[in-house]
Amino acid sequence: MTRFALKDLIDDRPEDGVFRINRAMFRDEELFNLEMRHIFEGGWVFVGLATQAENPHDYFTTFIGRVPVIVSRDGEGTLRCFVNACPHKGVRLVQKPCGSARMHVCPYHSWTFDSAGANRNIKWQKRGCYGAGFDQENHDLAAVAQFGEYRGFLFASLNADVPSLEDYLGEARALLDLVADKSPEGVELVPGRVRFTYRANWKMQLENCSDQYHFTSTHPSYIRILEQRAKEKSDDVVEASLGASDFWQEGAKGVTGGTFSFDHGHVLNWGAMGVSAASPDFERAEEIAGRLGEPRRNWIFNMRNLTIFPNLQIADNASSQMRVIRPLGPNLTEMQTWCIAPRGESAEARRFRIRQYEDFFNPTGMATPDDTVCYEEAQTGMAEQERGWLQGHARGFTATQDGGNPFSDMLGMTPARNVVADAQLCDESLFQSYYKAWAERMAEVVQ
Amino acid sequence: MSALQAELAHLLSHEARLLDESRFAEWIDLYTPDCLYWMPAWREDGTLTQDPDTELSMIFYRGRRNLEDRVKRLNSGHSVASNAMTRVTHMVTNVILDEDDNATARTRAAFLVNVYDARTSLTHNFFGSYRHAFRRDGEAWKISEKIIHLQNEVIPTMLDIYSI
Ligand code: FES
Ligand SMILES: [Fe+2]
Repeated sequence: MTRFALKDLIDDRPEDGVFRINRAMFRDEELFNLEMRHIFEGGWVFVGLATQAENPHDYFTTFIGRVPVIVSRDGEGTLRCFVNACPHKGVRLVQKPCGSARMHVCPYHSWTFDSAGANRNIKWQKRGCYGAGFDQENHDLAAVAQFGEYRGFLFASLNADVPSLEDYLGEARALLDLVADKSPEGVELVPGRVRFTYRANWKMQLENCSDQYHFTSTHPSYIRILEQRAKEKSDDVVEASLGASDFWQEGAKGVTGGTFSFDHGHVLNWGAMGVSAASPDFERAEEIAGRLGEPRRNWIFNMRNLTIFPNLQIADNASSQMRVIRPLGPNLTEMQTWCIAPRGESAEARRFRIRQYEDFFNPTGMATPDDTVCYEEAQTGMAEQERGWLQGHARGFTATQDGGNPFSDMLGMTPARNVVADAQLCDESLFQSYYKAWAERMAEVVQ
Repeated sequence: MSALQAELAHLLSHEARLLDESRFAEWIDLYTPDCLYWMPAWREDGTLTQDPDTELSMIFYRGRRNLEDRVKRLNSGHSVASNAMTRVTHMVTNVILDEDDNATARTRAAFLVNVYDARTSLTHNFFGSYRHAFRRDGEAWKISEKIIHLQNEVIPTMLDIYSI
């Protein structure tokens, strides 16, 4: 048993109007190891897009928690996911991030595996004087316990005892549909992956993606540049989609967006954005409306920050980004980021999407550094102290409703909870969904 | 070493010095109004992206105006990532003159930038190669292209124009 009690980490007392998270959640080494075991290695996590291994024998490598894995398309075209470690002495079989190979030969003693993970050769096996026990063992690469695809999004679990992927994603599937349905051909990653690390806990990134409250405070330097660019309309600079909308502005009127929370920790925060030429998807506005109907089309143009717990985030705001969160320690996280784009869009739209992306999303751009520096400053403030409880999960408490609302009805989607917001509400109650999922996955070790 | 090579190597050192000393207005003055400023990203297969219109870059700007925006943000006082007095020292070396005529020239060079982040008290470095193109402007040369190949692709928290 561990020394952690749930009530010391999550103070969830709806009857008293309280939901609080303790700083220990962000800094404790032992808790971090339990998170790796029970959250990242104990249930569904996102591993990649099917388009990353498009053709037979294509593969890419990644990690599930601390465990290296290969996602490989076998000769028949079926995607599979294996632990990327040789059964012989554990050597990481494939070192490259991606490639194409019918056979993978281990660099240490040349055991050989095919693209379906089957062992095809054990060097000098016949003369190896192996005992009967060895012959009875399975020498193939270890397949992960569960592996599944939803609309091109690949998920895996090292734990067999999990709900079906369909049930795990639940009603949030409608939000992945909005990403996949931008084009009848689906989505792909624009070549070029940007990676960065930050010296803070992975849950800072988890929360920030759905934190509407920070935007005008953290990014004024970027916002001022947008404002100036909007005035000048210079051809030298890229037009910003956020500059063409006002859902984030203090003085915006009426309903400007809101949040949805789902079972298993998935959340969306969204902001109303019109069908505007400031979006690279504008060229498809008619086509999408014809294919999916106007309500869904309008949703595709809204600002949407989606988290599929625990490690996938898709941000459709200043451009379109796919992020994968990889925790490396309680105080260290690696982010892998890509521009995710509809297949078959025009060269002009693609160029526009990429230009909007770089300025906002890159760690070399004008917005993300201000976020990540704030995560690190927050991490400094997570030190053990008299007042351990944070006050950052409280906004929106009395605005939260069970079930859906007319906006989710447009998608035929029923979230567990929702908030309809004006510009200044900036719901934080959606974070509860992360911590409820956290508590479920950790239930074995934190009660 | 030709006189031109020495002159352009000196210009690269001068650019480095201006960045080291946060003399951003003078730094921007080194560039032509239509300049290219480009740092490609790495593909997963370990190669650099080559076509900025179909592939992602870490930074891609055409037009000095974009550099002006970057500097404006740095000096705005409204960017927590830019407020912390990062100290940098550029080393620029191995300068090779690739092509030249009377009006234009191209160089390749290696760079190493040591970065001290006063906010965290951490030191790290960025290294790689530069490809510069120059255009004659009266007696002087202006930079019409700067392409930065950053070898250590995993960015520790952030990277801004003064660190490359
Ligand atoms: S570790 Fe792979 S063959 Fe020995
Ligand atoms: Fe942000």
